[in-house]
Amino acid sequence: MYSKKILDKLKKKKIDIGDTITVKTKDHIYEGLLMPRPTLGDSDVLVLKLNTGYNIGITADSFELVATTSAKVETEKTEEPKKKGDIAILGCGGTIASRVEYKTGAVYPSITPKELRTTFPELEKWPIHSKQVFSLFSEDMNAYHWKLIADEIEQEIKDGSQGVVIMHGTDTLTYTSSAISFMLQNLPIPVIFVGSQRSSDRPSSENKMNLINSVFSATRDFGEVAVCMHASTNDDFCYLHRGTKVRKMHTSRRDAFKSINAKPMFAVDYRTKRFEELSEHKKRNKGDLISKKKLNDNVALVYVHPGIKPDLISKLDSYDGVVLMATGLGQVPTGVFEGKHVKGIYKPIKELIASDIPVVVSSQCITGRVCLRVYSNGRLLKDAGVIGDDADWTPEAAFTKLCWALGQTKKMDEVRKLMETDIAGELSSRSILE
Amino acid sequence: MKIGIEIHQRLDSSKLFCNCSSNLTEGEPVFTIQRKLHPVLSELGETDDASRVESAKRRLFEYHVFSENNCLVEMDEEPPRNMNRKALLIALEIAKQLNATIVEEVYVMRKIVIDGSNTSGFQRTSVIALNGHVHTSKGSVRITSIALEEESAGIISSSDSKASYRLDRLGIPLVEITTAPDIKDAAHLRETAEKIGMILRATGKVARGLGTIRQDVNISTEGGARVEIKGAQDLKMLPDLVENESKRQLELLKIIHDLRSKQVAGVKKSICDVTSIFKKTDATLIKKGLESGSVVLGQSLPGFAGILGRELQPKKRFGTELSNYAKMAGVKGIIHSDENLSKYKISEDEQRHLQKQLGECFALVVAPEPQAKAALEYVIQRANMEFVPEETRKANPDATSSYMRPLPGKARLYPETDVPPIPVTKELLESVESTESLEDKQKKLEKLLNKELAAKMIKSRYLHVFELLVKAKADPKIAATTIENTLVSLRREGIEFQDVEKALLDMFEEFNKDTFVKAAIPEVLKGMAKGASAESVVKVYRLQKITGDELKKIIEDENHDLKAIMAKHRLQVDPAEVAKLLKAKK
Repeated sequence: MYSKKILDKLKKKKIDIGDTITVKTKDHIYEGLLMPRPTLGDSDVLVLKLNTGYNIGITADSFELVATTSAKVETEKTEEPKKKGDIAILGCGGTIASRVEYKTGAVYPSITPKELRTTFPELEKWPIHSKQVFSLFSEDMNAYHWKLIADEIEQEIKDGSQGVVIMHGTDTLTYTSSAISFMLQNLPIPVIFVGSQRSSDRPSSENKMNLINSVFSATRDFGEVAVCMHASTNDDFCYLHRGTKVRKMHTSRRDAFKSINAKPMFAVDYRTKRFEELSEHKKRNKGDLISKKKLNDNVALVYVHPGIKPDLISKLDSYDGVVLMATGLGQVPTGVFEGKHVKGIYKPIKELIASDIPVVVSSQCITGRVCLRVYSNGRLLKDAGVIGDDADWTPEAAFTKLCWALGQTKKMDEVRKLMETDIAGELSSRSILE
Repeated sequence: MKIGIEIHQRLDSSKLFCNCSSNLTEGEPVFTIQRKLHPVLSELGETDDASRVESAKRRLFEYHVFSENNCLVEMDEEPPRNMNRKALLIALEIAKQLNATIVEEVYVMRKIVIDGSNTSGFQRTSVIALNGHVHTSKGSVRITSIALEEESAGIISSSDSKASYRLDRLGIPLVEITTAPDIKDAAHLRETAEKIGMILRATGKVARGLGTIRQDVNISTEGGARVEIKGAQDLKMLPDLVENESKRQLELLKIIHDLRSKQVAGVKKSICDVTSIFKKTDATLIKKGLESGSVVLGQSLPGFAGILGRELQPKKRFGTELSNYAKMAGVKGIIHSDENLSKYKISEDEQRHLQKQLGECFALVVAPEPQAKAALEYVIQRANMEFVPEETRKANPDATSSYMRPLPGKARLYPETDVPPIPVTKELLESVESTESLEDKQKKLEKLLNKELAAKMIKSRYLHVFELLVKAKADPKIAATTIENTLVSLRREGIEFQDVEKALLDMFEEFNKDTFVKAAIPEVLKGMAKGASAESVVKVYRLQKITGDELKKIIEDENHDLKAIMAKHRLQVDPAEVAKLLKAKK
């Protein structure tokens, strides 16, 4: 934002962002487009786009309007009529489907049908319709948004879409894909989440390959929630990961998404029509959709660390459920066996469970299976009634599953039963060799 | 004619947006990666012509990754780190030397380049100063802008479907100095380029060696158009480059005039498939193409007979221009009717059939159908330009140039959102070193050396070595002649030093100990080229200075004959000392 001083002057001279102005400084006169300040805060320094296209920052002695730009952002209808057999593309924001409108500095979704087709002409091959559900940074999303997405998918299934592609920010994408996997079971069609690690405003963005591979995959024969992202740093093919078995494992690389304790479901390349099965999956149209969308997101996900204070766990009694990211095979400091310098969290965990708050364990190792039977600290947890022994779930799957289970029932024994049953591929019976 | 120049000079610092080394080595890549690029909208909601053209080729890009010089940033797998402060300070110092006004905030922009030379599809660039000038013998040449930007990746090979690049040099900091079209003529162009080059080297903070400085020339002629010619590595080429371009534009204007006076009404699209004519052809190029599934498409070009063959530059005809446009579609080129078709082994019968179908003047393309069609559409587009088009061209080694792409517009620049604007604070400006100006340096040199040698030294790429040597108490005159004469003749003999600076410092340290004489310098250096120290070379090659009683004995042995003494012991005795002893005797 510009400073109030500048904004007042601009207003007085009827200058808008995007107008051509001349700027006088003590040595020179510059002409260019007035650009918005890209950073927050207050500033007297004008950002000017010179004729060469370069932006520079200068302090103006005075400035004058030369010409106004009337170019306003097109507001286009963000929904279009659907036909049976379409592939639905739903926009939820994120890097893949946004661009910055620099004239105003606002972020606009590029999900409008026209923009999608302009940006990705290859999409013309398939019958698609698109809709903007909302546009958010993925870290701003929560269970409320998962519900909105689930509603949209259910509607698309009812309306006869052959597949649904959901454009989503990558940071919390796997929370959403897990949650949807529990909320909508026995899917008759593919539901594919897709994102991109490189923003859509760069020529090297992998959004195009990811999106087109998603649309291509949406026409194939499977009925599960999947995440479609780059398989490697090369622009060669994508993996379809199972929605409950995938995790973002790198802050920035294209191939950040990895299947955890599982193989990806498919390797996909629309250019060669490759759709290679890599692991077991459900086929499409096997029975009816089971819609159980109720969630209770009053759940805490806690990273166990050395010196974790018992107090921290005690205070979780205002939650309806707790997921621990425990160490190694699933241990936490208990303080039971070597009490002198150890303040364990065994006691508060036991108290939570006693007051009917389920405590679930996953491992901060990320890969591998929880086993509460090897070490004494693990056995204590198991005896206390912690859920998760033998589970090879990701912390995200455990968390969203607990939100979902608590949405289905309030009874502890039923929650335990749901948690211990494989619902959407989040628990596997065998640890695969890789 | 208006001439401006853009000078790109690599700076002597690590990479601009990561901490990788800028020192390039000959090593092997650790792995390669494959990528695709596609055009995007700019902040003004437009796509750039130049990038549309490149993207039409849909090429695959392969990148060779080097362990010392690359990290995830060059692979476009990690956001850029902060701008390298050292590089920024050097650029600001250069801006001061060029009398330019430094901006108050540096905005890093993305310049769309989708020929694959940047993994991200753009080059990061930022204007750091404006409105400078440089003095020349023909008046002041204005400098419109000074930008700090990233070096691109180095090309290894390129074909219709794929281009390979080395990533080691990607991201090395460059300054780009752009002059106004104030340059008067070809000689003035060379002088301006040399002057700016000298100012850059005088800072002692720019990279040296082949490829570390490049010039792009902007030329526009009366009635013609602005054309940017990229990649002239050698200053000596500049005058010919300018002459050839001005000739090209002049010839193009003549062609336009001739077409007008012949009342040629423009080429109408009438692309037709003439593959059937070549069913039993002996023309190797066509035969091979047909075997691999290509077709032969033709387009008649009425009124262009004789014009296609007209020479615009040495060995570059109007047909070459059409062919270069056709290449945008990813084809290898065109065959046209002003060429000797028999050289392609197109039979007279086939030629007759072609004329029957296409008329007297035509262009042919052999390629897969969609590409061939697109190529001929480009040919028609170029043929119908009744003006000299604005273009980016590539300098060829023979000082001619070839069409690369349309001149990029401002749509190709948009903000690098991953790098916040950098305020040019008082603290930052105070950290900029103020080295002597080129003029001051020249004056200082003239005090140390004679005028001729001073003029040579100021232009030398080893000026910084000279300064170091003088600082290390070497005799300025000997240091200058060693750099400018001795090193040059040694190089002619094929003797090169890996590290000139180190070798000369060592040699002069030894020389100052008075262990060998001036005349032995070339011999000592020769010995040192293999990596030995000056001290050991003097010993092993027996180049120790002869003095005192030993020298007196030689004088006696040679009967006081200076000539004879020097002829035998030139490399070991100091003639001044001999002369002194001889004089004393008398």
